[in-house]
Amino acid sequence: MRAFAAVFSVHFRQFVRDRAALFFTFIFPIMFILLFGWAFSGRGIQTFDVGLSDLGSPQSAGFVAQGLGMVSAGGGKQMFEVEMGPQEEMLRSLRDGDLDAVIVVPADMDLALSQRLPSQLEVYYDPSLASNQQTLIPVLYQVVDGIDRVLQNSTPLIGLEQNSLESHQLRHIDYLVPGILGMSLMFTGLFGALPVIQQRQAHIIKRLGTTPLRRSTLVLGDLTFRMILVLLTAALIVLVGRLVFDVQMVGNWFTFCGMVVLGTLAFTSLGYLVAAFVKTEEAAAPVINVITMPMMILSGTFFEVTSMPSFIQPVVKILPLTYLNDALRQIMVAGTPLHPMTIDIAVMGAWVVVCLAVTIRFFRWD
Amino acid sequence: MNQTVVEVKDLVKTYGSIRAVDGISISVARAEVFGMLGPNGAGKTTTVEIIEGLRTADSGTVTLLGMDVSRDIRAIKERIGVQSQHPALFPNLTVEESINFFRTLYKTCLPAADIITLARLEESRKVLYRNLSGGQQQRLSVALAFVNDPEVLFLDEPTTGLDPQARRAMWEVVENFHRTGKTVLLTTHYMEEAQRLCDRVAIMDHGKVIALDSPRRMIEEHIKESAIQFKMTNYPGDEVLAGLTGVTKAIREGDEVILYTSDIPAAISALLSLAAERSAALSELFVRQATLEDVFLKLTGKRIRD
Repeated sequence: MRAFAAVFSVHFRQFVRDRAALFFTFIFPIMFILLFGWAFSGRGIQTFDVGLSDLGSPQSAGFVAQGLGMVSAGGGKQMFEVEMGPQEEMLRSLRDGDLDAVIVVPADMDLALSQRLPSQLEVYYDPSLASNQQTLIPVLYQVVDGIDRVLQNSTPLIGLEQNSLESHQLRHIDYLVPGILGMSLMFTGLFGALPVIQQRQAHIIKRLGTTPLRRSTLVLGDLTFRMILVLLTAALIVLVGRLVFDVQMVGNWFTFCGMVVLGTLAFTSLGYLVAAFVKTEEAAAPVINVITMPMMILSGTFFEVTSMPSFIQPVVKILPLTYLNDALRQIMVAGTPLHPMTIDIAVMGAWVVVCLAVTIRFFRWD
Repeated sequence: MNQTVVEVKDLVKTYGSIRAVDGISISVARAEVFGMLGPNGAGKTTTVEIIEGLRTADSGTVTLLGMDVSRDIRAIKERIGVQSQHPALFPNLTVEESINFFRTLYKTCLPAADIITLARLEESRKVLYRNLSGGQQQRLSVALAFVNDPEVLFLDEPTTGLDPQARRAMWEVVENFHRTGKTVLLTTHYMEEAQRLCDRVAIMDHGKVIALDSPRRMIEEHIKESAIQFKMTNYPGDEVLAGLTGVTKAIREGDEVILYTSDIPAAISALLSLAAERSAALSELFVRQATLEDVFLKLTGKRIRD
């Protein structure tokens, strides 16, 4: 027990005096959450600057401006900021990125409308921007549709009431926070191979082998330290998600901690597997990168795995991080399950067993 | 009290086709300083690591403090101190923390202050291991072998990489330990170190013990003569030199020639006339007493630091 405590405190001291390890364990995931959180959600409010160019139908242009002005972006803000001006000037602003879209009202529109004839508004926008495709154009359709209905004095017969499947609607940040947690557990687990490789390479493990210290105590001390470390990381990530982006933890803390520990075990086992085959610290870093980087992208850390092309799906389906992310999402934000929780647990458990079995077969202490 | 502390019988360890340890048998008595001397690759470290229980032998037995190494290794580890060839400690621990960490691993141990004094690191007790100089790391590494007040101390090249002053200080540490009736088994490739510290020396080459005795007796037995050392142009060949009056053996090492003789005047005059005859120039000529280095050279035909 005394030896166990000593090994634990050695790992603790080694860690807190290693700035790179501190950074990657605590600062890095928080940076990710803040950057992606602010970049994607803009705190949930998205607004567009729209140029409106009237070629000679002031009445129609007035309808359009009024219609745009009625769209709310939530939080008491209007979704569209409308600017009027000549077509040439408006299009130049669009190209320069000062405007998100330009709507051109044709000269004959007022006349056509008074004769109840159809007429076309023209809209210019940059289709390469995702927010245009996903939000701007659909909303513009709705605006035009609404003006049309007012002009025709018609009432829609069928309406659509939106109801979310979950108790609360998931924003992108809700999706992101569990993913970032999964990612950082992966990094902490796999990079746990580095101290093992370093200590073996520097003959420290051999030196300890001449003392009565048991190897099991050495491994247990390392593992315990790592578990406490990931629980701290998890707490920090949940806290930042809650305080900065109001990401609520809906699940039970006990299940949550259990999943964090299981996920870390899976990646620590994978780390030990790396240590069984890679002898030097210099070789280990690139090997770990080759394992972690694709997994980070393919396992639904930032984007849903269902949006990945089908040829990559078999790879997605074997990666442990896919299941950890899925499980964490279900627990933390009641995300829609990709797999039932039992499958998530079984797959991660299988990774632990397989990695440890191979490690025990091939690992060498010297 | 002349009991055997280390008993090694017919030890063999092969790596692929290389017989790193090739049938070694040695025994070390209590309160003896026993040295293993040999070039790199002679099998010293492998042998010592088998004795310490770090490696397992292919065949042969090791008994340490009356216990079988393959069975009672944990009990043995409580009572031995080991300094491995590479100083190896956690880089982010201070001197004091490293010592205290090692102290928790043993049932009995010396006060941390004693170990700090032994390592002569009183000024650096709060310094991280990675910020110590190479010599300081080495001293700490050796001092840590004393942490459990061991009955047998294993030192694998304890002074390699130390400056001459630190080396002499380390010798004193070993001698003080020896004076308290403890046993030391050390490997070295410094002849001077073996000659000064060791009661007995085993000379090793290619995994075998090729000579085993006290340094003094070894020199007396193998080389009764003095050595004449010089450099020579137009080298006439070993046979010609060995055939000179009074010369018993001639060895050439690089551009240095050593003649062993018990009749210095006769050998020198024969050498001078040979040089005149062949118009060969002699330089850096001197006559000295034989050392362990000469024993090694004579037995293996090569110098130890090759």
